[in-house]
Amino acid sequence: MGNVYFITGASSDVGCLLIDRLLTAGSKEDIVVAQGYGDLSHLAPLCAKFKGQIRTYDVDLADPAAVNLFLTNVQQTLPTPTHIVHLPALRVVNTKFKNFDEARFALDMQVQAGAATAICKQFLPKMAKAKNGRVLFMLTSYVLGVPPKNTAAYVMAKEALHGLAKSLAADYAASGVTVNCVAPSMMETKFLTDTPDLIVQAAAEANPMGRNATPADVVPAMAFLLSEEARFITGITLPITGGSAV
Amino acid sequence: MNPEQLLQEVQEIFRDNFDDETIVLTRQTNAEDIEDWDSLEQINLLTAIEKKYGLKFNLADVRGLQDVGDLLDLVVRLTA
Repeated sequence: MGNVYFITGASSDVGCLLIDRLLTAGSKEDIVVAQGYGDLSHLAPLCAKFKGQIRTYDVDLADPAAVNLFLTNVQQTLPTPTHIVHLPALRVVNTKFKNFDEARFALDMQVQAGAATAICKQFLPKMAKAKNGRVLFMLTSYVLGVPPKNTAAYVMAKEALHGLAKSLAADYAASGVTVNCVAPSMMETKFLTDTPDLIVQAAAEANPMGRNATPADVVPAMAFLLSEEARFITGITLPITGGSAV
Repeated sequence: MNPEQLLQEVQEIFRDNFDDETIVLTRQTNAEDIEDWDSLEQINLLTAIEKKYGLKFNLADVRGLQDVGDLLDLVVRLTA
């Protein structure tokens, strides 16, 4: 039996590149469960390239009932995932703390930490029984050292996810399931749509390598942490920053 | 654009950004005069000004800004 990759935020730039890399390097028996929300069309070229290997799901991860339905359907129709990758977040909005938006923060917490918790609760006990599994969360270099100003909501949601990863790494280490995170610096993707260009340009200029990260910088590190070779690595947060945060 | 009106509007942006209603801008006001005015706050100010006037700055535009007068002149130039 091949690997079953369960990827949320799969329709993102990083998700698409990761799926392409995993399925290109893998076997024809590998399957990807690919969750997106309202933008599954981004996955169309990959579905055409890897016929029958990608199962797409349009699910609002901010809705706990929808997440439960999604997980139940996957559980009933597919083998237990061997790999879980959780990528989604609400777009970063640089906001002064006096304007903190509690409702939006609650949504972001649900999409990031809430959905990740539900997914792991559904599948990790089964992965542990199989004595094998990889879990990978997308964080941000903002959790390394001092974060930039005006990002409280984003940093808090990422730190919740970070805490979940560390806890699960401890809980499941003995069963061969690894739980890790990647922490890229600002990555130039469609995720930055709501970030002013000046902030993007300033981040590139401030980076020791003189540019922002791209999905092609980040995906190989993710693929490594998902690989068999990374079996003794768990609980880490890997900076992918060009040296801007270490 | 009326220079005095522009100064008043930009002053409002500064007051909102720094949460300080006592800020009074002149063309000579610079980062030495406002304690919290650092490089990140400068970007926040500039993005608020972009939004207010429908402008798009790039880093080259804003790198040499020394004071509020330079900033006002840039806004006038880009909205002309």
